[in-house]
Amino acid sequence: MKKRTIVVGLCLALASGGVPLLAHHAFSAEFDANRPIHLKGRVTKMEWINPHAWIHLAVVAEDGTEVVWMIEGGTPNTLMRRGFTKDSLAPGTQIIVDGYQAKDGSHKGNGRDLTFPDGRKLFLGSSGTGAPTDGSDPTEPPRN
Amino acid sequence: MRSRLQGLSRAAAVALVACLAASAPVGAEGAARTTWGDPDLRGIWDFRTITPLERPSSLAGKEFLSDEEAAVFEEQTLERLDFDRRDGGSRFDVERAYNNFWWDWGDKLTDDKRTSLIVDPPDGRIPAMVPEAKDADRARRRSGGGPVRERVLIGSKAHGPEDLGLSERCLLGFNSGPPMLPSAYNNNLQLFQSPGYVVLLNEMIHAARVIPLDGRSHLDGRIRQWMGDSRGRWEGDTLVVDSTNFTDKTPSFSGVIGAMGSGETLHLIERFTRVSADTLLYEFTIDDPHTFTASWTAAIPMKKTDGPLFEYACHEGNYGMANLLSGARAQEEAAAQSKKP
Repeated sequence: MKKRTIVVGLCLALASGGVPLLAHHAFSAEFDANRPIHLKGRVTKMEWINPHAWIHLAVVAEDGTEVVWMIEGGTPNTLMRRGFTKDSLAPGTQIIVDGYQAKDGSHKGNGRDLTFPDGRKLFLGSSGTGAPTDGSDPTEPPRN
Repeated sequence: MRSRLQGLSRAAAVALVACLAASAPVGAEGAARTTWGDPDLRGIWDFRTITPLERPSSLAGKEFLSDEEAAVFEEQTLERLDFDRRDGGSRFDVERAYNNFWWDWGDKLTDDKRTSLIVDPPDGRIPAMVPEAKDADRARRRSGGGPVRERVLIGSKAHGPEDLGLSERCLLGFNSGPPMLPSAYNNNLQLFQSPGYVVLLNEMIHAARVIPLDGRSHLDGRIRQWMGDSRGRWEGDTLVVDSTNFTDKTPSFSGVIGAMGSGETLHLIERFTRVSADTLLYEFTIDDPHTFTASWTAAIPMKKTDGPLFEYACHEGNYGMANLLSGARAQEEAAAQSKKP
């Protein structure tokens, strides 16, 4: 397994070709590629903490019990620079998370896709600066 | 000869960036000055760029790209950096959390369209390592022993926090150096000046170096520090920062494939030149004959930005540390279970 982790890391480094140097810890050491998650829930809070923001999400299981999941995000600095504020993701907002669960089986995950129930992406990364309302992309759907 | 070449290369880099920045001259009398007469380098400077540190082998012999070539290179690089891609299966996918919104690599090459940040040696590549240093690195990794000098350590057994990379332990940022290098986010430097001192504050990990300019000598060689010991001086309008006294817990340099050599033998020279109102040319030279067969230099034009810098309290919510350790334990447990008859 260790060997696999190294291989994946190196592949990513090679795939990135001319990309400037390394960055970040290895997600594969924290999260399990064999445990994909698909969560639909209600935001209870967002922790604006370094080095990584965490979104807390209340998910109701089939038996009616509620489980709070924590979803890892990037540095809050980038969000702030892009105009995202504490009010941009209010508690109570329904979102859907697709990602991978923590290796230790706890209710933590990384969210590779975060979307609203109507299919809009929660964080638009590929459009303009990515700021929610930066207006650089006329096709960008309106926010809440 | 070597130093002559290096000098020429450096002069060429300064001249090039200055020419490119000529549309925003600082003033006919030279660099803007502080009230006490030093060149004014103050401000918040953004050093993100997708120009690679080393020239890709596919571009060997090509120092600059044309505008058209640069556009293609940028497009291809951004495609590789696209964390919204979903090809390659779950093993790649797990590394692509979170989506592009969170990343801040930049989307442009440096204005001069160089194919590498390294300007010396002329091939744009880090010189070969000294065999003894290479062997020592290999032995260190193979033994699994310390010190961990990597900024990020892929594949760590993570028996304890000390087995993780320096940035994962909040000791040094992965881009804040010294020397500074563009990376995934928080590529911002705030430079402060006062009579007799310069302060370099990196947003990443809010690493700060307070640098005296009064000509005092370096600390006693027995005193070793994570960010070394920096002394500054002016050479014309260029601020030169000379750093020694790094520790063996840091590498001489961190590259894509990990730590190279020991910080103990590193002599780092950084130069800051305000080549225009909105460009601060940052150059660093790694001078470590115990690690590299030749000294080498990279040049990164930093762009003025409004800021502000945001606080980066790395330990505040470092869930990643606990997750990495518990992930390693879960992995061990799974391996032990699979061995049971």
